[in-house]
This record gives sequence, C-alpha cells and structure tokens, in this order.
Amino acid sequence: MQHLSVLILIFSPLIMSAILFTPFFKNNEVRIRRFSKGFASLHFLYSLLFLVFFNPLNQGISYYEEIKFFGTSWIQPLGFKMAFGLDGISLLMVILTSFIFLLALIASKSNIRQKHKFYYSMIFLLQTAVLGVFCARDMFLFFMFWELELVPMYFLIGQWGGGNCKASAMKFVLYTFLGSLSMLLGMLLLYFYNFSTYGTMTADFSAISVSSPEFPIFLQVFISILLLIGFAVKMPIVPLHTWLPDAHTDAPTPVSMILAAILLKMGAFGVIRFNMQLLPEGFQYLVPLLLIFALINIIYTAFVAYAQMDLKKIVAYSSISNMGIVLLGLCTLNLIGFSGAVFQMVAHGIISAGLFMLVGIIYIRTKTREIADLGGLGDVMPRLMGFGIILSLASVGLPLLIGFVGEFLVFLGAFNSPVDELSAPIKIYSVIAISVLVLSAAYILRLLHKTFFANIFEKWSKINDITNHEFVVLFALILAVAFFGVFPMSILDIIQPILANILEIFKI
Amino acid sequence: MEFLNNITKIMLPEILLIVFIFIQIILSMFSDTKFYKLSKWLTVLGIFLAISLCSKVSIDPIYYGFKNSIISDNYTIFFKFLILLSSFLIVFLTKKVIMSRRDNAFRFNALLLTVILGSLILVSANDFLTMFIAMETLGFGMFFLIAFEKGHCSKEATLKYLVISAVASAVFLFGVSYMYGITGSVNFSSIYDYFLNNNPTLLYSMAAIFITCGLAFKLGVIPFANWILDVYEGANTSVVTFLSIVPKVAMFGILARLLVFPLSYSFELTFILVVISVATAIWANCLAIRQKNIKRLLACSSSANASYVLFAAALVSVFNLSTVLFYLVAYIFMNIGVFAAVIILESSEFSNKLYEFKNFAYTNPVFTLCFATCIFGLAGFPITAGFISKIYLFSAISRSGLIFLPFLMIMMLTIVVSVYYYLRVVKFMFEKSDNVTSEVIPHKVSSAIVILYCCAAITVILGICPSKIIEICQLMAYNI
Repeated sequence: MQHLSVLILIFSPLIMSAILFTPFFKNNEVRIRRFSKGFASLHFLYSLLFLVFFNPLNQGISYYEEIKFFGTSWIQPLGFKMAFGLDGISLLMVILTSFIFLLALIASKSNIRQKHKFYYSMIFLLQTAVLGVFCARDMFLFFMFWELELVPMYFLIGQWGGGNCKASAMKFVLYTFLGSLSMLLGMLLLYFYNFSTYGTMTADFSAISVSSPEFPIFLQVFISILLLIGFAVKMPIVPLHTWLPDAHTDAPTPVSMILAAILLKMGAFGVIRFNMQLLPEGFQYLVPLLLIFALINIIYTAFVAYAQMDLKKIVAYSSISNMGIVLLGLCTLNLIGFSGAVFQMVAHGIISAGLFMLVGIIYIRTKTREIADLGGLGDVMPRLMGFGIILSLASVGLPLLIGFVGEFLVFLGAFNSPVDELSAPIKIYSVIAISVLVLSAAYILRLLHKTFFANIFEKWSKINDITNHEFVVLFALILAVAFFGVFPMSILDIIQPILANILEIFKI
Repeated sequence: MEFLNNITKIMLPEILLIVFIFIQIILSMFSDTKFYKLSKWLTVLGIFLAISLCSKVSIDPIYYGFKNSIISDNYTIFFKFLILLSSFLIVFLTKKVIMSRRDNAFRFNALLLTVILGSLILVSANDFLTMFIAMETLGFGMFFLIAFEKGHCSKEATLKYLVISAVASAVFLFGVSYMYGITGSVNFSSIYDYFLNNNPTLLYSMAAIFITCGLAFKLGVIPFANWILDVYEGANTSVVTFLSIVPKVAMFGILARLLVFPLSYSFELTFILVVISVATAIWANCLAIRQKNIKRLLACSSSANASYVLFAAALVSVFNLSTVLFYLVAYIFMNIGVFAAVIILESSEFSNKLYEFKNFAYTNPVFTLCFATCIFGLAGFPITAGFISKIYLFSAISRSGLIFLPFLMIMMLTIVVSVYYYLRVVKFMFEKSDNVTSEVIPHKVSSAIVILYCCAAITVILGICPSKIIEICQLMAYNI
C-alpha cells in the first residue's frame, strides 16, 4: 500500500506533543485529555492499517521511507541515514505500542492530577521515541531514539511519581545511559569493522548484516558483549536489573504500564536486531552463557517476587522473570522457541500492563500497596476482582489465555533446541526453568489471595468499584488476552517468516 | 614592501581589530559615562567588519607571511571565523558588566578586542615565538578582564590565574628552548622537515611534552586545571563565557596544528595526552557532582569537554581533526546558551546557587525549555548538537585503534557521571517549592534572551541535520 506513511506514524505523536502547547488548549484539563485520547485512538487505527496491508512473506522491508535534509541524508559524511521501515517484528511492536499508549492515556485520567499539558506532551514524545526505535533502519538512528526515550521518561517518573521518585528517575537514566554508552561503543566498532572490510560507510541494518568469514570471532564476541550490556540494562537481565523495581514502584500507573509493556521489549527487540541479525556467530558463541543468565533471571527473580510485600514490586519482579523467559526463547535458536519468545514479548506486554493497572486502581482507592494492609477487596470490588483473576491466570499461564502460548512455545523450543549439541545442557536448563510456572503461580496467587480474599478489613468497606475509564482499559486488555490465547496463529503468522529468515543465518 | 603585501593579504582582520582597539583606548581618555553604550556598538562593528574581511584573506594556495612565521590557509580561516562569531555573540552578553562600570566601558571593550586579536594571531601562528607572543597577548587581556569585577573573589581569581599562567608559560618556554636546541629552529615547518631526516630522540619527546603541558593551562586540563573553578566563580559571568570559549577554541586550533606538524613524531606524547585527557575527565566530572554553584559546575563541565576534545585531538588523523572541529562548533553554541541563561538569571537578581532555580519550569516555561535544551546538549542527549558531536567524536576515537579502547571506556564511564550533574540542574528547575518565592524573570526582550533562544535553536538544528556542517569540518580538516 503506497499511501501509508511510516513517517506519519512515527512523528505524528511528536507534532501532537507540540500542538498541546498552542493557545487552543489553554490550561483546560478536559480538553487536553480528550484530544490526547482522540489522537491516540486515531493513531492506533492508523497503525492497524499497516497490519492490513502488510505481507508477512515479503522478504525485505515494508513501508521503507527515508528523510532527507536539503538533499543530503541525515549525516551524509558518515553514511548515516534517517531511514524507517517495518518488518514483522517491528510491526507487531508498533501495534502493541500504539495500543498500550492509548490505554495508558485513558488510565491517566484518574492518576494524573497536575501539570496535564506537560504530562501529555511528554507521553507523546515518549511514543515517538519508542516507535522510532522499533522502525529505525539505521544503527545510529536506532541509538538516537533509544537515547531520546530517556528524556520523557526522566520527567514522567520524576514529576508525577510518588515516593522517592526523583532518585528513581535519576537511577533509571544513569543505568540506561551507562548501558547505551557501552552499546554505542559496540555499534561504532561494528560500523568501522564493516567499513574497513567492505569500504562503504554505512550503518544500515540490511547493508551491515552480511557476516563475513574474515570477521574475527573474538571481535564479534566482544562487540556482542558490549551491545548486550546495553540491552541487558533495558530488558533487564539480572545483575543490571536493580533500577527496575525502583522505577516501577515510584512511577505513576500509566507510566508503569508503558515501562513494563513497551520499554522492556525494546531490550529484547535490540537483542534480535543487533545480536541475532547482525552478529549471529557472536551470539551463538555466547548462547551457553546467556542461557545461564536467563535461568538466573527466571528463577531468582521469581523467588524475589515471592518475598515482596509491595504489590507493585511483585509485578515488577514478575516482569523481570518473564523477560528471562523471553531471553531463554531467544537462546533456543529454533523457530518454535524463537517465535515463542516474540509471542511472550507481546503477551507479557498485555498482561503486565493489566497487572499494573490493577495495582494502580487499588492504590488510588486505598493509598497503600502493602500486602499486609490489604484484604477482602473482592467484597467491595467484584468487577475488579473478575478482571484481576483473569489477568493473574493469564500471567500464570493458563491454557487458552495469552500467557500460556508464549511460555509453552519457549519451553517446547528449549526441549527440542539444537543448542543441546553445542555443549549447553539446555534440556536440563529448561526442566529447571519450567519450575517457574509453579513459582509464578505461587506469587501471583498470593497477590490475588491477599488482596481480594483473606482478611476483610472494616476500613476498606467504603471504597468503590472500578469506574468506566478503568473498565474500558481492563476490558480491552482482557479482550486481547482471550483473543490471542485462542487464536495465537494470528500473531505467529506475522512473525514466523521473518524469524525463520533470521534463523537461517545461524549455522547450526 | 613585502611587509605591506603580507598585511594586506593575510592580516586584514587583525589590523582592523588593532585600529578598533586604538579607537577604544583614545575614546576612553575623553569619554564621560554618558557614552558607555557607544563602546559596545564599536566592538560589535569591529568584529562584524573583521568577519566580513575574513573572506578577503588569501588562503589558496597556502600563504606563508612574515618570514614563515604566520600561516594562512582554510584551516586558520575556519578558526578565525569561529572565534569572531563566538565573540560576536558574547559581546551581546556584556551589558551588565558595562552598566556596572560605565566609566571603564571603553577599556573593557579594548581588552576584549585584545584577547580576540591574540586568539586570531594564535591560530595562524607558524612558529613558537609568534605563538608565545599571541598566547601572552591573550593571557594578559584575560588577566585584566577577570580582575574587572569588583569584590574579593575576583581578586583571588585574578591572582590565581596570573600565577598559574606564569608557571605554565615558563614550562612552555622551557620545552621550546629544548626544541630549539635539538633542531636549531622555532619554525613549525622547519622542525617538521628536520625530523624527516633525523630520528626523534627522547629529548624531543620531553620537549614536546613540556610544550603541550604549557598549553594545558589555557585548555583547563590537568596538570594546570585547578585554577578553573575559582576563576569561573570569581570573574564576571560574561567574562567567564568569553574565557570558556574564545581562548579555548584558539588553543585547540593551534594544538591540532602542533600535533600535526612539529610534535607529530612522538608516540610518548600521544600516550601522555590520552592519559592527561582521561585523568581530566575523571577529575572534572567527579568534582562537579558536589558543586552547588552553577558557575563552578560549568567550570568543571568546560574542563571535562576540553578533555574529550583533547582525547580525539591527541590521536592525530584527518578524520579525528574533523570531529574536533565539529565538537568545537557544537560546544560553542551550547555553552554560550547556558551562560546566557546564567547571565539572565544574574540580571534578575538570582544568585548562582542551584537551589534557587526551583519553580522555574512553572514561572518561566520558555526560558526553562531553552536552558534545558542547552543543558541536555552538554549532557549529550539526542536531537541536540551535543549528541551528534559526541557520537562523532567517539567514532573518531574508537577508529584510532583498539589500544585506546580501555581509555575510551573509562571516559565513557565519566560521561555517565556527567549526566548526573547536568540532570541535577534540570531537576532543580522542575522542582516545586513553596519556600522560594517564585519570581518571574522580567519578560522584556534583552539581547541575552535573544542569544539564549538562538543558541537553543541552533543546538537543536545542528542535532537534527548536521550534515552540511560536518562536511565543512571535514573539508577544513583535509586542508591542514
């Protein structure tokens, strides 16, 4: 389809964030909110159009577009291009982004009480940055959007958060900056190695992805590690995860939803884009190591989640655990596990957004997130309890719900993985990792039990059930949870051709 | 006759500045305080004419004047243009200091022009003696400018500047004397040619190290870096703006030429410069964490930025040189923007303490936006010139070989630290507080506000489409 422009998709939120400062909006809270939501719904519909006209079997990049300034590309002397395009994975992520941002904007009504104009403009800036990351076709453009995302996130956590939010925002920025500088170094080495081998100055993903036999393996591994540090901070992988519980706890609910649902996926997306597509040999070399990290990620954080007393921290640690499953899926190096990993990215995006929404709803009404203070809310909030139970069960991995598909595919893939021949006992690992199903059931059901059932407190007998806004958000998420749980092929059909394509590069 | 010929061919901007310096000095004898505004406009006119005369200077082919002691090529003209352009912007920030010392307005501007003159001659120097004279012209002008502010702090700053400057000059001259002893010449080209036929000795490396250490003073890097905080705090802010840009740009201009020609044979020097720059990055960035005064913080920041540039400049290559040039261009605009904001605050009776910045985001949104843009630029966040220039600079360093990679990694770690203190400034501006009376900065249009807006706009434009400027920088670097 010729008329769909990926540039409009990416930059319209940026324009919207500028429009919010025009005199038309004054300081009229309602008007700002309604326009934002209206815009986000249009954006979501527009992103769906890309899906309608997308051909997954198309080998190259769909909807490719490049911005030129005065006839030259972005940084002409270095061969950097401001080029955007979509493949199956990016398309999926773009639609997820647009969907979650719409829901986050709806959820903002009850959570954001001040500085509305600034808030909504920052959200839209964040949306542009995230979409840019998913659509960029140039390494350094990818990096630019990756860094750009820090600015709105710093303000979103620091300005509208609670608790010790300023420190958490700073911690988030510093951690990510550290990771991204290491990533930058990796990219530069890759870029210059490519330059010295082929003599063309380019940072285009499709131009660089040819792996040459002369590319020394130690350099590939070194660059892979540098890049992985950057993505590991974002994903997060265990030793670099400490920013995440803080950021989640102190961020306002809509921002937590975005953070868990979209930003963590950027890390996994980066691993696929860089480590798997550009540096397959380096990745393959590191798989045994990464498997151990994945295992630690899955099991350790599940235990930590069980020990938490704060609702948001439980969900935050469960996010890390789930991203461990994604990493395990990526390391299986076969189509089943790989598509399971990407599916799990979507599934976790939807479920974690729902769980954060749930916690946020409870927090607004009770002003506490401590498990010990809560109990018996099912009595006064039956609708919320209904949604909560479905989301929790999806998170635990009940069949016919979205959480089941991803986890099942990953573990199935891990069991049949060719990595087994590579000295890594992935079968044993996957047996250990499957125990996470029990652990996640333990901490999620504990959350469910302690908040909705258990002791009935007199002080919570007056609170109201969910409002229409909150109902819409949760209902939309539940719809997605059920639909993709029953028809997982609707997602897998989009991604499997490109994933098979990526796996062909691996000599295994 | 040859003398006149030289002057008309390559020294026109400098001669013009000398004329304006004399005009200012003569006027300072007769003027009373009523005409203080005239001095500023004379300076503006002088710099503007000098910029337009830059195009008249003959640069193609490379022109050597005054018995080989002055060189004129694309590269020098680029630096001259950069120096004059940044001075042109900074002159508009000097309103407050002139208002407070109306009787000395002409003298102030004469000194300002002297420093610019020194910088112009410095970038076109082709032997060590010319270079030394230019450096001292620049240094003495700066010395009086720092002393211009009334008060105890400024005196201390002046003394510190003077003493350390003298030590650095001595070290520099010591190195030059060795160099003369080895090669029998002080001319850059002769020294370069001498070593084409002779092997460089250890003594040569020592001389090179002494010379560059002497230059380290003006750059504000280790070993002569400790003056920078006190001087930045004590001197008048518009003078500090000037100090942080014009001498520094000129110094990098000449340093790059030194490293390409007379000092290019010493690997030890490269290594030591890299160590120096990394040490400075660590020192400056860690020192900045605890600063509560924005001017002291910016002192550290300017020192840190100098160290990044020094790293790239030390690993001499054409590509590295082009990144240095682009970094300087980007840095000029971001730094002038930040200092313009500080000057606006000072003229609205805010002190330089960071905690006084509270509530700004809500009382002065546009000001905060521009200020924050420049700060984010210095920190290296995207869609600002700082982001592009940092990527470009690091690309140059990482290309220069895997040996320097560990140093680059350490430097990158210090950059993470720098993000912390830059963000602290922004954090304070967005903080709400009831204790501090939320004053509104006066909305009348002053030149400083216009400069701030312009610099913020240029910072963003350079961050989005830097292609053309980078091409120019590469062209200039190829021409050295």
